[in-house]
Amino acid sequence: MTPEQTNQEESPHVAAEDVIRLEDVQRVTESALAYLDLDDLLKELLDRVTDMLDADTAAVLLVEEGGRTLAARAAKGLEEEVERGFRLPVGRGFAGRVAFTQEPVVIEEVGKSPIQPVNPLFAEKGVRSLLGVPLLVEGEVIGVLHVGSLTHREFNERDIELLQLVANRVALSIERSRLMVQGRIAATLQRSLLPRQLPQIPGLRMAGRYLPAADESAVGGDWYDVIDLGNQCLGFVIGDVAGHGMAAATFMGQLRSAIRAYALDTDGPAAVVTKLAEFSDRMHSRMATVIYATLNLTTWEARIARAGHPYPLLIHADGKAEFLDETGGPPIGTVGGKRYEEEVVTLSAGETLLLYTDGLIERRGQQLSDGESVLLDVASSAPDEPELKCQAIISQLTEDTTILDDIAILAVQTVGLDELLEVAMPAAPAQLMTSRHLIRRWVEANSGTDDDCAAFAIAVSEACANAIEHAYGPRDETIHLQATLREGVATVTIRDSGEWREPRGGNRGRGIPIMREFMDEVSVEPGPQGTTVSLSRRLREGG
Amino acid sequence: MRPELARLYLESQGDIELARVAGEVDASNVDALSERLLEAVSNQARALVLDLRETSYIDSSGISLIFDAAARLRNRRQELRLVVTPRSFVGEVLAAVSMDQSVAIDPALDDALRAVGSGDPAS
Repeated sequence: MTPEQTNQEESPHVAAEDVIRLEDVQRVTESALAYLDLDDLLKELLDRVTDMLDADTAAVLLVEEGGRTLAARAAKGLEEEVERGFRLPVGRGFAGRVAFTQEPVVIEEVGKSPIQPVNPLFAEKGVRSLLGVPLLVEGEVIGVLHVGSLTHREFNERDIELLQLVANRVALSIERSRLMVQGRIAATLQRSLLPRQLPQIPGLRMAGRYLPAADESAVGGDWYDVIDLGNQCLGFVIGDVAGHGMAAATFMGQLRSAIRAYALDTDGPAAVVTKLAEFSDRMHSRMATVIYATLNLTTWEARIARAGHPYPLLIHADGKAEFLDETGGPPIGTVGGKRYEEEVVTLSAGETLLLYTDGLIERRGQQLSDGESVLLDVASSAPDEPELKCQAIISQLTEDTTILDDIAILAVQTVGLDELLEVAMPAAPAQLMTSRHLIRRWVEANSGTDDDCAAFAIAVSEACANAIEHAYGPRDETIHLQATLREGVATVTIRDSGEWREPRGGNRGRGIPIMREFMDEVSVEPGPQGTTVSLSRRLREGG
Repeated sequence: MRPELARLYLESQGDIELARVAGEVDASNVDALSERLLEAVSNQARALVLDLRETSYIDSSGISLIFDAAARLRNRRQELRLVVTPRSFVGEVLAAVSMDQSVAIDPALDDALRAVGSGDPAS
């Protein structure tokens, strides 16, 4: 029975007793209670129900362990029940019987009834009469609410109805609280599995975004990831596990770990995704779509394997965009034994590879292809800088609509090789090769000869190696590299935030002579904010 | 898919150890390379021939490795010879630090193998 059906205040023939009961009904259904947390709400309701029914004890027990056990959750007059962690199997004793039959159960006199309570507290406290009703959510029993009397009492139909009304209110609150808690846990898990910070790679600009669905309980299994594979190679992942909530977020976490492990151990995205599909088959878990791509940081060759996921978008430097739809296989967790293939594309300077989940392009009542063509338009006109690009794409595609599904988006952009090049990189030896290949590329793009390229490659690499050596200490140091071309003379400055130290040891200190050998001009400017090394050379064909 | 920056191939020819380095040598891989290189030279070996013809890049850390190796081998009365293609990038870097004044450099592998033990300071 719902509160609305009981609420018949307009009736002129309401008996006095009924009026009191209607007030009682309002006392347990008033909206102010919704602001209490579950424990306070249960305490308040138990107070009110004992008061209303003039009972001495009241308790809420909840079903646990997949429906096999009842555990005490809140009690009044029987507080020890909760403190002692009282449990009983569904089907046994008094509360167990209520849960099992999903019907109200009345015991007029404990000891004379065929139903024997198993809780020793009833005897200890001297409870003589009991009334219990099930807590039901969509026809499923989630627990039991019971009241007791220390004096002999015959609970009547009205008592049963009123208690059931309170039980419905309690069941609703418990269910809502459970969903909220689960949604919050799923959202927290989800967020903890996203990269906190994307790696800083010379020559690449990256941005990643995750937007949860508007409804917290709909948080699901979208994720993105960037994996440093070592040896000048980077891995990119975007994925979407079917479904929402805890189960989806948990499986997402498993897939994320599995793909990270396979990526470090397996050559090539196709093989990685094939293994991921096998892993998923063996788990007999839910369906998921995923893209795994690698990018060679020296050649900018991208290899992409796609399992049922929306097409990656390649946005050219001039803004024109195209979907990479050459290859692809089914989602993982659908067809067993599937082998995946790779699409290979070499990125030019200033190009962006955009990976996203379907939440970005799916709209209720619209074709997926509609969303795709909107994305093409929006991506073409969006700002160049990856963070701003992602922001513009998301805000334009989610305009005038509630975000029904979560959205993940990852943009990877190669830098432009114009007359001015500016990059920041971590002070780590692993970055040396990437930085010298980047500068080689830049010299080549600005009409330098092979000799010019080689000369800048070694001079810049030496200067960066010096900066890395200076950047000792616990902080994560960043090196700033700037290349400019003016009247045929290329100048590269390398700025660190460390202190200049004189080269040590007999075999050290060869970096500067090597720089001088290959450059027209070399200057080292130590400063309080860091050291700046400036390297200049007239490009042999550039003048 | 995930290429090593440099690969090291080792081979024994009688009492001469032959080490061929292909790829790029910089501060990120020089320590690992140095370790494997010195392990490869047994006490019985007369000389180490370091073939750098397939080395596409070397920087000052690689140069230091060569100087260090030369000094150690000299202490053990063993010889170090380099094989470097003339006018190659690596050749230019070695010239920039006057490597030829400390270590013998040959343009071809046969020259190096023939010259071991002759005391020739290389061409």
